[in-house]
Amino acid sequence: MIIKAGSIRKGMYILFKNEPALVTKTDFMSPGKGSAFMRAKFKNLKTGKVQEFTHKSTESVEEIEISSVQMQYLYLDGTDLVFMNPETYDQVEVPQSLIGDKVQLLIPESKVYIMTYDDKPIGVSFPQKINLKVIYAEEAVAGNTMGTAKKEIKLETGLVVLAPIFIKEGETVVIDTETLSFVSRA
Amino acid sequence: MKNWKKIRENIDQKNYLDKFLVREKVINAIRLFFKNQGFHEVETPVLVQSPGTEPYLEVFETELVTQSYEKEVNREAREAGLGHKKAYLLTSPELFMKKLLSAGLGNIFQICKSFRNGEGISSFHNPEFTILEWYRVEADYLDVMKDCENLFLFILNELGSNGDGKNILMYQGVEYDLTAPWERISVSEAFKKYSGISTEEMLDSQKLVQIAKEKGYEVDNQTTWEQAYNQILLNEIEPHLGQEKSESGKTKPTILYDYPASQAALSKKKDSDPRFAERFEFYIGGIELGNAFSELTDAGEQQARMVEDLKLRKDFGKVEYKMDKDFIEALEFGMPRTGGIAVGVDRLVMLFADQDSIKNTLFFPIDDIFDY
Repeated sequence: MIIKAGSIRKGMYILFKNEPALVTKTDFMSPGKGSAFMRAKFKNLKTGKVQEFTHKSTESVEEIEISSVQMQYLYLDGTDLVFMNPETYDQVEVPQSLIGDKVQLLIPESKVYIMTYDDKPIGVSFPQKINLKVIYAEEAVAGNTMGTAKKEIKLETGLVVLAPIFIKEGETVVIDTETLSFVSRA
Repeated sequence: MKNWKKIRENIDQKNYLDKFLVREKVINAIRLFFKNQGFHEVETPVLVQSPGTEPYLEVFETELVTQSYEKEVNREAREAGLGHKKAYLLTSPELFMKKLLSAGLGNIFQICKSFRNGEGISSFHNPEFTILEWYRVEADYLDVMKDCENLFLFILNELGSNGDGKNILMYQGVEYDLTAPWERISVSEAFKKYSGISTEEMLDSQKLVQIAKEKGYEVDNQTTWEQAYNQILLNEIEPHLGQEKSESGKTKPTILYDYPASQAALSKKKDSDPRFAERFEFYIGGIELGNAFSELTDAGEQQARMVEDLKLRKDFGKVEYKMDKDFIEALEFGMPRTGGIAVGVDRLVMLFADQDSIKNTLFFPIDDIFDY
């Protein structure tokens, strides 16, 4: 839908420089000194990059509809991740490049939101925190509390993170999906 | 949740109120700063018949009822305009303060409410806002630049935020060095530096619109010089102002000065180059905080500009009203050579409270008052 830039609001999806973007901040600019302008921050849904741009309020921009559906991860097919809608059993293929190193958060049946625009997947949104099982952690050596109190642990997805030395193999831990780092014991 | 309710919930939490109480400290400091220098604090009206003529500002309209009638005749009287006068809330106290300059008051300042309609709701705007204006006589915009530098340091010290004497204002994780002199850059230099546009190109309507087009801005045959100029200023220049590290590795506020003459309704043109006017704005962290002029004192030129502004207001479909003739008369009597400025107090408070929106420092931001 074509709208005037003056009506851009936080939370809208806009086609910005031909790429779908989420509006994360808006400010009406220098209205007293000249024509009205709308300054906004646009977060590119594909790259995550945030760009600021100031449109004339009367300029046309395209508001787009992004649908967001919860899906289950199935498997990796070459370079594509395959997800399934647990209600309709529809499957979608998402290029691995779209989520970068967050592929290390996926195990079969992981639930995520797939965002689509124009029937094409454009992004994968994870819950802020997820639980993963520790498949390898070196035993903490008694008395060895000198130096760093952290060690590397390997999770069921293959992801390796730094964790406190008391974490043991077989435990479940909470991981922050934004920073891919250890939060706490589950 | 409304701010007053948030306060109610958190009142026991240490320091929660601080971001709201910064306002009274900042206002105290401003008063002290000017009174120490012998400025008179004045009060001028907010409700008037002829507000300023700025073509891009919208006013709040109301009505002054000078005579009351019986219930039955009231509606008719209103329709006939009997005992009812159109009235407006001021967008700034400027014209009235200048009348006092003409009356001979000397250096004056005021902290008051002003009202601007139709500006949308944003982190840096509230339709009802607090404005600080000061006028220094026998002075010009260069003197006002120094006032700004001194005022900010004074507030920092009064707030007790300058313990180590390094003049550092911490805002949103960045250290701003308020030590004078601040960075000064003319509009011409800024267009050259940040956009690669020469003074001649900047002032030429056709060329500037063409450049805007080449840069990828939306341009059509309706695009005016003013729109192209502001597109470039807002997108390519303003984000750098008060943000750049100097050679010493410090970030200083920036004073952007000497605006194209068409962008300075109440300021004096430069004697040395009348294509420009003696106006400046200053910025910290890309945020505009104040707008200053070497004030225009020529009654004839002022009247001509106001006539032009009122025409523009009509073209833009803005509320129409008559020019303040009293103001022109004040200039005819003679207003001393003056440097003056308007500073947004809410933004100042936001800055010293280290908040990213003025809403966080207002007890009752507009969102908490109106449903929309």
